[in-house]
Amino acid sequence: MKYMIMMFGGLGASLIDRSPEWITNMQTTMMRMDRELRETGEVVDSRHLMDPGQATTVRFQNGAPAPTDGPFAEIKESLAGYWIVEGSHERAVEIASQVVAVTEYPMEIRRMMDQSAQE
Amino acid sequence: MQSETVNTAEGLLRELAPQVLGALVRRHGQFDACEDAVQEALLAATVQWPADGVPERPRSWLLTVATRTLIDHWRTDSARRRRETAAALDPTEGSGFESQDALVLLFLCCHPALSPPSQLALTLRAVGGLSTAQIAAAFLVPETTMAQRIGRAKQRIRDTGARFVLPPPDERAGRLGVVLHVLYLLFNEGYTASSGPALHRADLTAEAIRLTRLSHRLQPGETEVAGLLALMLLTDARRAARTDPDGSIVPLADQDRTLWDATAIAEGQALLTGTLGSGPVGPYQIQAAIAALHDEARIAEQTDWPQILALYDVLAQVAPGPVVTLSRAVAVAMVNGPVAGLALLGTLDADDRMAHTHRLEAVRAHLLEQAGHPQGARESYLRAARMTASLPEQRYLTLRAASLSDLPVRSTPAPPPSS
Repeated sequence: MKYMIMMFGGLGASLIDRSPEWITNMQTTMMRMDRELRETGEVVDSRHLMDPGQATTVRFQNGAPAPTDGPFAEIKESLAGYWIVEGSHERAVEIASQVVAVTEYPMEIRRMMDQSAQE
Repeated sequence: MQSETVNTAEGLLRELAPQVLGALVRRHGQFDACEDAVQEALLAATVQWPADGVPERPRSWLLTVATRTLIDHWRTDSARRRRETAAALDPTEGSGFESQDALVLLFLCCHPALSPPSQLALTLRAVGGLSTAQIAAAFLVPETTMAQRIGRAKQRIRDTGARFVLPPPDERAGRLGVVLHVLYLLFNEGYTASSGPALHRADLTAEAIRLTRLSHRLQPGETEVAGLLALMLLTDARRAARTDPDGSIVPLADQDRTLWDATAIAEGQALLTGTLGSGPVGPYQIQAAIAALHDEARIAEQTDWPQILALYDVLAQVAPGPVVTLSRAVAVAMVNGPVAGLALLGTLDADDRMAHTHRLEAVRAHLLEQAGHPQGARESYLRAARMTASLPEQRYLTLRAASLSDLPVRSTPAPPPSS
């Protein structure tokens, strides 16, 4: 089974009041975990997103798509990145818990739908 | 031992790929179909050679398999190809144009009608001999996406009616400019992403150097080709020192220079010495000369900044642009102080071309820090961190900002240094 583990927050502006030690610790933990999950083959894919400061939101307004500069959600609630892992739900929760223990930012775990008909 | 055999075989395959493709296209036209046939032959070799050993005449082996694939394709395609099939079976050998073939291919793949991503992908496949899966992995896109991109690029080349010959003399310089730009993009694509999930992209840098080396061997008189090769070697020489074991960026001034690749530096310098003055001096040679000056300094403090600034002055005349102004501002700051550098940076504020890059803010942050304005520096670091698309750079910039946040809050900005 594939799960997407999404991280919210932890981007540019939300780091303003953190100490260099805290940031370094957070970053090294994330990199170490990413490396370990790749080595065990559990990570199918992982991506980081740029700061939402330069995001564009396209809404349907007055019967037409209307792009506007700016993110859809508040920066604290913006998607910062995700892992797609292969494994059990318990394992996905375990991975997310290890990250949250360090970052303190929330993570959401969602099972991915099966698309095997296409493969 | 086993893997070494495989690697040698793969290196040989990649070197032969453009030669075989060139010979095939020269004989049959149809770049499109020939390219597919060569890919199949490469695949067959990847499977058979490690098991059975490399054949005695690997080039002929590949050419035979590719030709057979092409004929099979035509036979199943339709009977109207009968004439071509007969011609393909003609055993007379190629006409001695082989050495030029890779160059013709390079010009074809860097056809101005193609978008830069298509030029990069097609060059890697047809000239570099990489598989679609390898190229997709290097650019971090799904294989199906890359297959479509390459398919469309080939279609586009067929539509333009481009022939398998070198561009005519009056177009040659312009077309060479496109080729060099593609190779330069390829190099940067590999060089700017240098850690974590993107580690394997270092292969792109090596591939860019290999193809530029090939390009230089085939046209040794083109000074800008030599300049680009020198620039790549002199820049790539610092790779090992550019990131620490965590994958974080180490700025040039803080790098452990004993980690620099002395062999690559020597080769780059020799190339440059042999080139400068032998023909027109273009932007790649000037940038290579700047890189060489950095590489020559055993410690950062020995860097010959006045000479570097003089070269940036020349570059600003030969190839003016906001990126050159930005680099020149750093040199100005090193020679005349951070305030002078900041003044030059100010001229870029209204430039739309800088609106989507973090570099302007990153440089401003460094200069503000040097000038004794920690508050302003911190804000610029944070702005730059929000704008960068590179993870290692984002980490570096965020950390620099955070390291300035412990400073006591000032009610008024520090006065600029009186120097």
